[in-house]
Amino acid sequence: MPYFEDIELGDQIGPVERIATDEGVARFCDVWSPPTPNRFTDAQTARESGMTGPIVPGIMAMAMMAQLLTDWAGPDAIRDLDVVFRQPIPHNRPLTLEATITDLRQENGQNLAECDILMLGAQGERHVGGKAVVSLPSRG
Amino acid sequence: MTMELSYDRTLHGKEHRAGPFEITADMIAAVNASLGEQGAAFSSDADAKEQGFRGMIAPPTLCSIFVREVQLPDVGLDFGRTQMHAGQRVQPIAPIYAGDRLTASSHLKDVYAKTGRSGTMVFVVWETTFRNQDGDVVAEVQESFARRE
Repeated sequence: MPYFEDIELGDQIGPVERIATDEGVARFCDVWSPPTPNRFTDAQTARESGMTGPIVPGIMAMAMMAQLLTDWAGPDAIRDLDVVFRQPIPHNRPLTLEATITDLRQENGQNLAECDILMLGAQGERHVGGKAVVSLPSRG
Repeated sequence: MTMELSYDRTLHGKEHRAGPFEITADMIAAVNASLGEQGAAFSSDADAKEQGFRGMIAPPTLCSIFVREVQLPDVGLDFGRTQMHAGQRVQPIAPIYAGDRLTASSHLKDVYAKTGRSGTMVFVVWETTFRNQDGDVVAEVQESFARRE
C-alpha cells in the first residue's frame, strides 16, 4: 500500500488488463438480479437494444474500477468514485484499466489522492471515464 | 440560455425507501467470483481482522446492486425517448460488513440539460443513502440516466 508522501502528481495506477467474461457477467447478474431476459446476458435482447452482443452492466464496470483502486490503496481507501459510462462494454474483450493522480491534499485529517480513471478497449475506445478520491496512510 | 424542462417537480424532497437487504458472506463471495476479486478483507473474517476490520467487509460498490430495489416513480420527463444509464457515483462512508442489514432511501437529486456536439441530453439523477442496522450511513450512491433528443 502506498504512502501519501511517496505519491506525486501524474503517478499512474495500473494499467491492468481485465476481461469481463460471459461467465463473470452471468455470476454478477445472479447477485444483482436484473429483469430477464436482459441485454447483459441475452444476445437477442442485446441486439434488440441496438448492441452487437451482450454488454457489461455499468455497475459491474464500476466495481472493476473500484477494484483497481482497492488493489492499490487498500480495501477501505475509496472516498469517492464517480464514473461516466461512455460506450457499451462488450464481453470477452481485453479492457485496460488505469488511473492518473491529479491532486494531492490533506483535508479533515485525511491524506487524499484524487485521480482520473479510465477503462479503455483494445482499440483505445473510452468505455468508462471518471474521477476518484482515495485516502492514503501517512509515514508521519 | 437555460432549457425549461417539463417533469414532475413534486418529486423533489420525497424519499422512497426499500430494504432491509442482508449482506451475506455468500453474496460477497459471489460478487468476488464474478470480478476475480481476491482482496483479503473481502474474502474471510480472519483475513479482514488481520487488516483491522471486525470481520469480512463488502467491496465498496456492492451496495449499488440494491438501488434498483427501490421503487422509483416515473419523473414524467417530457424529453426524448431512449434512456441510458449514464453514470454512477459511490461515496463509501463506513465499511459494510457481512451480516449487515442495509436500508435504502432514494430521492430525486437533479434534472438538468446539457448540450454538446451530439445535441442536447437531459440527465435525471437519483441519490440513495444506505444505512446499516444501527442507523449509521454507510454509503451514498448517485445514479444518472440520460435521455437524448
